[in-house]
Amino acid sequence: MLQLKRDYLDQKVLERLSTLQLHARLPMIGSVSGKHRSPIRGSSLEFAEYRKYVPGDDPRRLDWRTYARNDRYYIKEFEADTNLRMCLIVDTSGSMNFTYNGMSKLDYARRIAGTLAYIAAQQGDAVGLYCAGTGFHKEIPPKRSAKHLSAVLDELGTMEASGETGLANVLHETAERVPQRALIVILSDLFIEPEVVRNCLEHLRFRKHDIAVFHLLEQSELELEFDRPMRFVDMEGGEPILADPTVIGTQYQRALEIYLESMNTVVQDTEVDYHRIRINENYDDVLARFLLGRTPKRHF
Amino acid sequence: MGFLQPLALIALPLIGLPILIHLINQHRHRTIPWAAMMFLMSAKRMSKGMARLRHFLILLMRVLAVAALIFVVSRPLSGGWLGSIGMSKPDATLILLDRSASMEIQDLQAGQSKRFAALQKLAQLLEQGDYGTHLVLIDSASGQLQEVDSPKALLGLPTTESSATSADIPGMLESALAYLKANKSGRVDVWICSDLSENDWDVESGRWQAIREEFAQLEGVHHFLLAYADLPSDNLSVRVENVQRWERGNDAELVLDVVVRSKSTGWVTQPVHTTRKRFPIEFEVNNVRSVVEVELDRQGASLQGHRIPIDTKLRSGWGSVGLPGDANPLDNRFFFVFSEPPVRRAVVVSDDVKNGEAFRRALTIPIDPRFQHQVDIISVDRVAEIDWKSTGLLIWQAALPRGSVADQIAQFVDTGRVVIFFPSSQNADEQLFASRWEDWQTPGSQQVFGISWWRGDTDLLAHVESGDALPLNELRTYRYRSFESTGTPLARFDDDASLLTRVATDHGAVYFCSTLPTAQFSSFEREGVIFYVILQRALDQGCRALAVASQRDANLDVLADRNEWELVAPEDNSPLLSQSGLHAGVYRDGAYWTAVNRSHIEDSAAAVPVEAVDALFDGMSYRRIDVDVGDTSALASELWRIFLIAMIVALLVEAVLSLPSRRVRTTPLIDLTVSGGSAE
Repeated sequence: MLQLKRDYLDQKVLERLSTLQLHARLPMIGSVSGKHRSPIRGSSLEFAEYRKYVPGDDPRRLDWRTYARNDRYYIKEFEADTNLRMCLIVDTSGSMNFTYNGMSKLDYARRIAGTLAYIAAQQGDAVGLYCAGTGFHKEIPPKRSAKHLSAVLDELGTMEASGETGLANVLHETAERVPQRALIVILSDLFIEPEVVRNCLEHLRFRKHDIAVFHLLEQSELELEFDRPMRFVDMEGGEPILADPTVIGTQYQRALEIYLESMNTVVQDTEVDYHRIRINENYDDVLARFLLGRTPKRHF
Repeated sequence: MGFLQPLALIALPLIGLPILIHLINQHRHRTIPWAAMMFLMSAKRMSKGMARLRHFLILLMRVLAVAALIFVVSRPLSGGWLGSIGMSKPDATLILLDRSASMEIQDLQAGQSKRFAALQKLAQLLEQGDYGTHLVLIDSASGQLQEVDSPKALLGLPTTESSATSADIPGMLESALAYLKANKSGRVDVWICSDLSENDWDVESGRWQAIREEFAQLEGVHHFLLAYADLPSDNLSVRVENVQRWERGNDAELVLDVVVRSKSTGWVTQPVHTTRKRFPIEFEVNNVRSVVEVELDRQGASLQGHRIPIDTKLRSGWGSVGLPGDANPLDNRFFFVFSEPPVRRAVVVSDDVKNGEAFRRALTIPIDPRFQHQVDIISVDRVAEIDWKSTGLLIWQAALPRGSVADQIAQFVDTGRVVIFFPSSQNADEQLFASRWEDWQTPGSQQVFGISWWRGDTDLLAHVESGDALPLNELRTYRYRSFESTGTPLARFDDDASLLTRVATDHGAVYFCSTLPTAQFSSFEREGVIFYVILQRALDQGCRALAVASQRDANLDVLADRNEWELVAPEDNSPLLSQSGLHAGVYRDGAYWTAVNRSHIEDSAAAVPVEAVDALFDGMSYRRIDVDVGDTSALASELWRIFLIAMIVALLVEAVLSLPSRRVRTTPLIDLTVSGGSAE
């Protein structure tokens, strides 16, 4: 058992989620045997398909029973199980410091990322961490070792949010630099234009990565419930805005609706595993829903 | 717009207070770190126009509310004319009050005359505002300047009461000018209250030009004309044109010519067959009343030669003619007095027999056979024999007298009699009435002096009643004696020398005629008409002073000829001594009677068009305020209620605009369970 000393990880949550497994929705190409499907045919017990014998195939793999029935040569193939690479991409822009009841979006992302990293490591998958922020940028490529997990968790515990977001750049870089198929988990408030997000996700999809997005939002951001003019200071360092929420509240809601509608379209078009979350929700429920949603449907 | 508390307007800069608070609040907003800036920026872009407009309106409403509050405190007054004089207050206020009889036209519902309504409005206005350190009244009847303590006192002064006089508006303005020049006042408001009667304003007078020029030199003088030019809907005036006492055998009677004039604007425009109506005229003589009904047409009615029998023992007395009440009560009663006609006595002082005879012939031919005429021709050395008391006209055709005789003549004129001086052949340097004879003049090549100009509107050479001019252009003068005089020429020769001149005197009349009636000097006697008219008119004028009973037009000096005049009628109205002669009535001094009435012009004068009145004030600071006599509203009323309502409205609008806008959520805010993609 890995000794956990990180306060953002909750032992009870880990125990509750220990019965669930992290599945990739797409076949993975791993370096070792694992619990995930591979596009390469392997020697597992799970039948994959029959295919005609072609010269050069190993005659030992001929299915003689089929030959006896049909007088034709067929090769019987089985699924290959492999491990996956999980890349946790955490947005560390200043806006992730937005706090609700003492818990910021970054804290929330930290908890989800840490728990997922632990679950993935437990089932033998490689875990990597990418911090996407102009003020705080960090890369830990995915590896399988317990020591590596410790480094990831330590990094999660110490990372800070500041400056403008560098999420788009990090996503494009990740798409280019992660050589094999991987599970890309994005934790961000995604306060960037939906079309920019679309480009990033399409790039990742082109590289055949499995993408999961945790879109973190805070309740007050959604409602703008203030009864007097306020001076809104940009947490990412932009110009402050003086506005009266009683005057622009309706327009704010309208802008938010347009953004979320656009975001819905983007995630549906790019077929990513998208979860829009209020950070006042229990993160273990969110994770349970996420893990259960990814469990493959078995057809008997 | 004026203000009762103008000092409160000093606080007007406080309207900038909401703007200042707004600017301060710009720096006092609560600061909050915010992540979702992209939505805020979008929202601000979307609401930019409306939000700005809303903010501007809120600010405007707050400014308006503060401004309205300050105006409420400063107690604004309505009245567009006040706006023209700005905010400064006058140092003095002059009130020129037209007290003429026509100003007594009343609004029958309100029961107020034009004069009283004007005074009341003015007093109310001045009471509300500031009239300066001096409030001066110039009334048309007395023409005197009177310092008034307060505007309210105007209503109780004897000098603001009704009178039967006519007004002289140019004269009143001249008095105002004299006051302003003497006192060197700064900012002065001159209020003129008048009904714009033609006679009172005399718009054709040359005095207006001088008045305009003199007022133009004064700075800070503002004229306000309170014009009551509306005509009454129905008004009749009565006047006795002639009254004679005749005896027929053992009976005596009064013969009166009565004229009723209509000033109505209503029924006279109806067709003829519907306009005739009968109405009563009441006569009162020696406390005996009688009523006669007359038929009234568009112009009015006249009753010629109406006879009223009287006691033969009643040698003199008084009476009155009355009409039923209408818009102007002052012209509904006319007083008259009667007496036996006096002997019309003239004295001709001349050493020239021919000329003396010419004078005698012209003076002894009576206009009316019922009059007795007596002419005495005496030489200069018998002047002491003249009975000055019983003489009405003195013809002096001799060298100008001096010493006691000159004094006697001056006294003679001062008692209302008439003197005509004709030239004599004697050369002397004596001067009388600021006039003296010069040399005889004979025509040159043209053989005769013609008359180039004469005054036909008034005095001895006035046109006859039919309107025809006297035939002065046919007069031939062969010699005349020029004279130096300060008097007013009534007729001029071709060479601009004067034929007839009237010298200004307080009473009576003094004329200088530069030629003689005989054929050697002129065609006066041969032509006859002009000579006869001149002498008969002079005799008539001079003999009025001889009559025991006389009819006079009301004015301040009408009773100045005797000291013991006592009011006989009306009994219920006893004016102050200073106001005697200004009111219609009958006065008696022993055997002498006089009836004082309004001038005949007051019965017929129309109103001057307002445009013509406006033109009189060209180049002066002037504002006309047209008022109807029935208009009981104040000239200026306080407007604070309007501003108070404006303030409340502004605050309500501001409150509504400041309410948080209701957010319309047509669709669920967001769907937080969206899950995109699917597992393969």
